[in-house]
Amino acid sequence: MLEITGLTSGYGGARVLSDVECKIPDGKVTALMGRNGMGKTTFIKTIMGLLKTEAGSIRFDGAAIERLSTFEISRLGIGYVPQGREVFDQFTVLENLRLSLLGHSIKSQDGLDQIYEWFPILKERADQRAGTFSGGQQQILAIARALIANPRMLLLDEPTEGIQPSIVHEIGEKLAAIAKETGLTILVVEQNVDMVRTIASDALFMENGQIVDSCSISELERDDSLLRRYLSV
Amino acid sequence: MRNSIIGIIVFSVLAVCPLFVGSYWTGQLTNYLVYGLLAISLSLVWGYGGILCFGQAMFFGIGGYVMAVFTKGMIYPDLTSSYIGLIAAMAASSLFAVALGYFLFAGRGISGAYLAIITLAIALVLERLMSNWYALGGYNGLLNIPPIKLVLFGLSYELWDIVPTFYIILGLVAVIYFAVTFLVSTPYGLLLTAIRTHPDRLSFLGYSVLNIRLSVFALSAAIAGLAGALFVTLDGFASPTLIGFTLSTEALIWVAIGGKEMLLAAFLGAIFTRVAESWLSEIFGDYWILILGIAFMISVVLLPKGLLATPFEKLIGKKRRAIPPPPAEGDPSPARPLPPTPDQ
Repeated sequence: MLEITGLTSGYGGARVLSDVECKIPDGKVTALMGRNGMGKTTFIKTIMGLLKTEAGSIRFDGAAIERLSTFEISRLGIGYVPQGREVFDQFTVLENLRLSLLGHSIKSQDGLDQIYEWFPILKERADQRAGTFSGGQQQILAIARALIANPRMLLLDEPTEGIQPSIVHEIGEKLAAIAKETGLTILVVEQNVDMVRTIASDALFMENGQIVDSCSISELERDDSLLRRYLSV
Repeated sequence: MRNSIIGIIVFSVLAVCPLFVGSYWTGQLTNYLVYGLLAISLSLVWGYGGILCFGQAMFFGIGGYVMAVFTKGMIYPDLTSSYIGLIAAMAASSLFAVALGYFLFAGRGISGAYLAIITLAIALVLERLMSNWYALGGYNGLLNIPPIKLVLFGLSYELWDIVPTFYIILGLVAVIYFAVTFLVSTPYGLLLTAIRTHPDRLSFLGYSVLNIRLSVFALSAAIAGLAGALFVTLDGFASPTLIGFTLSTEALIWVAIGGKEMLLAAFLGAIFTRVAESWLSEIFGDYWILILGIAFMISVVLLPKGLLATPFEKLIGKKRRAIPPPPAEGDPSPARPLPPTPDQ
């Protein structure tokens, strides 16, 4: 369970998030939605310790993490798939995966088999350089790289950005299946409503640096007024 | 591995050199081997670790002074063992690197040109400090530093003669070279590549970027400290010039000319530049600096990987097999090759 209370953060003097309150329940996929510039990425980066928490607290399974370094947060079991993938292009697929294993002090073979089972393409192309991958394949690698460390929670920042619809759908179904299989807690920042419908069970809406609304996906199916209010331009 | 075969060939060629060159050149070559060791240390921290240290001579100088004060018995009259001196020199240099590195890399950390300027400034400050530290000889430095005294099974031997000294130093340099080569072929080398190109991406994979940087900085400093400690035993003389600006810059030029991303190229860069200096400065006098400058410019502009590393890589075929991106079914979004990050 990730509990966030009174969270304030931003870039230098520019405050982006003010007094964010929310709870991300265990074993569920929660989508964080909102228009561009509302603070979704800032929110994720602050949880990861990539941006400094100016006020408020972030508790992960009861432990305060808002003062920890990024690598400590990662080792506590929060996996992160950043916006724009950020894989190491000059490394092979296998090297990218091994780097993540080493960072979490996991013996090599343990995680690899599971990852290859979920994403056979990574096994086929284990020796290929990640830089030669298409955007969608890099996204799969970035997700696999986070999953291989066996996190308790996964943060995904716009996993469908700039990726072709058919691959988006594939990634969505795969993530939903993995979440169901492992009971992994996922927080996904997403603007693609189809993707949210595929994987998420709950949605949070962010506007002007605050969580302003929440609902379950089934409520969203019945009534899309929230979507219109918080997503349409 | 072909890489280590070339290394073995280079060290074998160096090993037979005393048979063909006179004792003067053997003595010079011994000095150059030590400079080569300094170049290896800079290649490790700069070419592999991505930390452009413009003051690498400070670790060399610290090693040299620590060796001097120990073996001259200035710390304790009975504690003049060369072994203790060498270990203390390496420890002092790497401790200094950890302390300095902590200030440089903690928090957001300093990188690129700022890092170069700060390390250069610190080297200058240390050079000034040593020039005015009269207990350590001040501007004139410390004289009469004893040569290395090898003690094994109760036998002891002082390295006064040129040829034995050459072989001992060559052996040490070779051991360090192959050890570092091995180290960068382990996953630690992968980490260094990652930290050189995208340090920000390592933190959320569970790595402390600070610790990795400190480790490579300290290791490199220990090697530079060892080089400095060996150096002062050759001439019996330690002066503030060992620690300062000139040697730092020279080391940078050797490594850039040879090739910073290849230990062997950096090592040979130091030796070749030094050999060329002795020859060319006899022919051209001070104009030799001009030739060195031109070689440096050629290396930076035309062969940024280094004048020696470029042909070496061809020889080894180190270039990674670039597999053409296979057409992914239904995903035409092109692989977006990110522009190569200039590694400082």
